[in-house]
Amino acid sequence: MKDFDLEKLERKNIYKVPENMFENIQDKVLSEIKADKKAPIFKLNWGYAAAASLALIFGATFMYQFNSDSSANGDSNGNYADNRTVPKKESQLAYETLASDLTSVENSNQRVERQMDIKPVVSQVVNNNSGNQNKKAVKTANEIHMNEYLESLPNSEIAELANNSSQDVYLDLYN
Amino acid sequence: MKIKDAEIIALMQNPRTLDKGIRVLMDAYQSRLYWHIRRIIVDGDLAQDTLQETFIKAYQNFHQFKNDSQLYTWLYRIATNEALQQINKLKKMQKTDEDPEYYMQNLVADNTHSDAEEIQIFLQRAIQSLPEKQKLVFMMRYYDDLPYEEISKIVDMSVGTLKTNYHYAKQKIEEYIKENYER
Repeated sequence: MKDFDLEKLERKNIYKVPENMFENIQDKVLSEIKADKKAPIFKLNWGYAAAASLALIFGATFMYQFNSDSSANGDSNGNYADNRTVPKKESQLAYETLASDLTSVENSNQRVERQMDIKPVVSQVVNNNSGNQNKKAVKTANEIHMNEYLESLPNSEIAELANNSSQDVYLDLYN
Repeated sequence: MKIKDAEIIALMQNPRTLDKGIRVLMDAYQSRLYWHIRRIIVDGDLAQDTLQETFIKAYQNFHQFKNDSQLYTWLYRIATNEALQQINKLKKMQKTDEDPEYYMQNLVADNTHSDAEEIQIFLQRAIQSLPEKQKLVFMMRYYDDLPYEEISKIVDMSVGTLKTNYHYAKQKIEEYIKENYER
């Protein structure tokens, strides 16, 4: 084809078009818009998101620390409970009693060795408001056991304890 | 048309009359936009989906429309972008060894009326052989008779470039038809 002028050609739409096409398109658009309205649109606000993240981080850190503190306290409580329930060994009791007695002036309050002897002492410390009768009973029991203990010690040890006790007299003045 | 555009814009800008506005807008522009899309995409079903998506986008983003531009320019811009996206998807889905332009030219033959003139079919095939920018400029100028200034806003090209592109497009089409069409 030698002579062809595009401007002279009729402008036609030659493609096939289904019936009621535009009506169908409009119906689809309107139904899509309605569905879009019903569905809530969540728009992410970066400011709020950052604030929420920080709150979450701080909250999580606080909770972690709180839990670790409480667990540490729980352990200490457990240990405390254990200390109360587990009886002390006889040698430990003897050492503690001896150490406390060395600071005392009166012989009658010195050196309590056995576990049985400790119980009245502890009860005496805890129940400060208990009556004089109880104190007397504790004293007499302590005296008996103290004498037994002193008898069991060799002379050299008694001499050493006597030296220590004479030094502690001055300390006891401030008690 | 301008009075009608003002009415549509007023309806669309009021949230209470937004739904009525989109109906009026579709009635006014569905045919022009459909044929613009159809000439780019060729495939009928895909063109329908693209037109539908164009109207939905126009509805959802009407707050972005500025009164300083023409309503149809804004709508053409949305429709053109949607159509080009569809074409790109189509090209990606194609077999790698098949020429996309050749594929589009065959699509023309499959989608035309049985009583369509042969010269018209050749014209559509020639249009599909053009590079994308030339194709867009040619179709908007030749079929829709849009001013270069408005086409410039739709495709983000200078008026000078558009004129050059149109000139080359026309030349290539005429050469294609002279070579391939025999009366």
